[in-house]
Amino acid sequence: MSRIVVDVERCEGHGLCEQTAPEVFRLDDDGELHLTHEEVAPERESAVAAAVRVCPVAALRLQP
Amino acid sequence: MRRIVVVGGSIAALTAAESLRAEGFEGQVTVLSEEAHHPYSRVPLSKGVLAGRQDAESAMLPPPGEDIEFRTGARAVRLDVPGRMVTLADGTQVPYDGLVVATGARARRLTGGNDLVVRTLDDAAALASRLAGAGSVIVVGGGFLGMEVATTCRALGLDVTVVDLVPPLLRLLGPWLADLAVAAARDHGIRVRVAPDGVEIAGEHYLRCGESVLEADVIVCAVGDLPNTDWLRDSGLPLDTGGGLVADACCRVAPGVVAAGDVVTREGRRTPHWTNAVEQGRAAATGLLHGASARPYRPDPYFWTEQSGLDIKISGELPLTGPPEVLAGSVADRSALLRWRHDGATATAVAVNHRLPVVKLKRLGAGAPAAAATPT
Repeated sequence: MSRIVVDVERCEGHGLCEQTAPEVFRLDDDGELHLTHEEVAPERESAVAAAVRVCPVAALRLQP
Repeated sequence: MRRIVVVGGSIAALTAAESLRAEGFEGQVTVLSEEAHHPYSRVPLSKGVLAGRQDAESAMLPPPGEDIEFRTGARAVRLDVPGRMVTLADGTQVPYDGLVVATGARARRLTGGNDLVVRTLDDAAALASRLAGAGSVIVVGGGFLGMEVATTCRALGLDVTVVDLVPPLLRLLGPWLADLAVAAARDHGIRVRVAPDGVEIAGEHYLRCGESVLEADVIVCAVGDLPNTDWLRDSGLPLDTGGGLVADACCRVAPGVVAAGDVVTREGRRTPHWTNAVEQGRAAATGLLHGASARPYRPDPYFWTEQSGLDIKISGELPLTGPPEVLAGSVADRSALLRWRHDGATATAVAVNHRLPVVKLKRLGAGAPAAAATPT
């Protein structure tokens, strides 16, 4: 199972990941990113990859 | 619909392809990209990749899932709308039931095609290798891209001059914010030259500005982009005078055809920015699958740039007139949270070297309650 790695310094709270995969990525009221799961279940693999891809500042990475 | 073909290989194309799956489309999805590379982000090209701080690998995007066919080196040259057929440069015919046009834009060039530009990974690599042995550079074009390239060149220790017909960033940002950014550029050691009489590239190292001729080791052009719609010329699809493909609020162009990203003209203008490409990619997918019942796409005017030591994030419409309210920080320190209010109770919020989550910036700007209260 791959893992999601967040570069906290880079994350600027755009929220595009949350729009793409809301079941995994959540921005709180302060714009801070929280992961509901760090490990990516196979059925979520493509949604999470899409969320990683849309990050405008490349703050997200998938680690195999 | 059994087969959907997406023409293009960047973020709008990929987002559309993945969104088709997310919306439950179970037929075949084929993405045709003309580039030899796998998908990558253009965002770091003018910054880290050009500066050599980041390798090309770091710009690569996660590839699409295995249920999406991604073809590289597949350049579309013709579209037959009634016959639902895309023709590729090598003569291959690709039939479709639904089509997403996401062919993006290319760099506008001032000469026949030899000017150095920053649009693709190959462009950035070519420019980086030229800069490696250079001492001076002229950047033609004072928009976001030109100023970012100038900043990167300064960081590489080059002597940098930005040349434009009008003061840099003025048309884009309006005078107040443009002045702030240009002052920062000058403090950064970037020379700015306004050439109202026009510029002309007069050889590899020379740029004619009116009566005078400027010389540099390298001349880079950052003079805007042109939508990639040459392959649609005979298709009968609606193109505007600038060549943009005209799409409606659900990104629909014609029956069975939608469009997303830099190629799209909507309400008379193109908005070639990352957020827009992502949101149009999603809207195009739903527009194609659900037609008139799809939720219209609502543009989110959000822009950002890093230049001359400034990190500027903007939520709301541009350009800006008059001075802003200073909500936090200090303009003199060039670290502030600013807001412009417009007629009609809308606002534009700008963070200059002021760390604030973008969702919060948007609440002050384009997503301000007054603006959100307008009928949808």
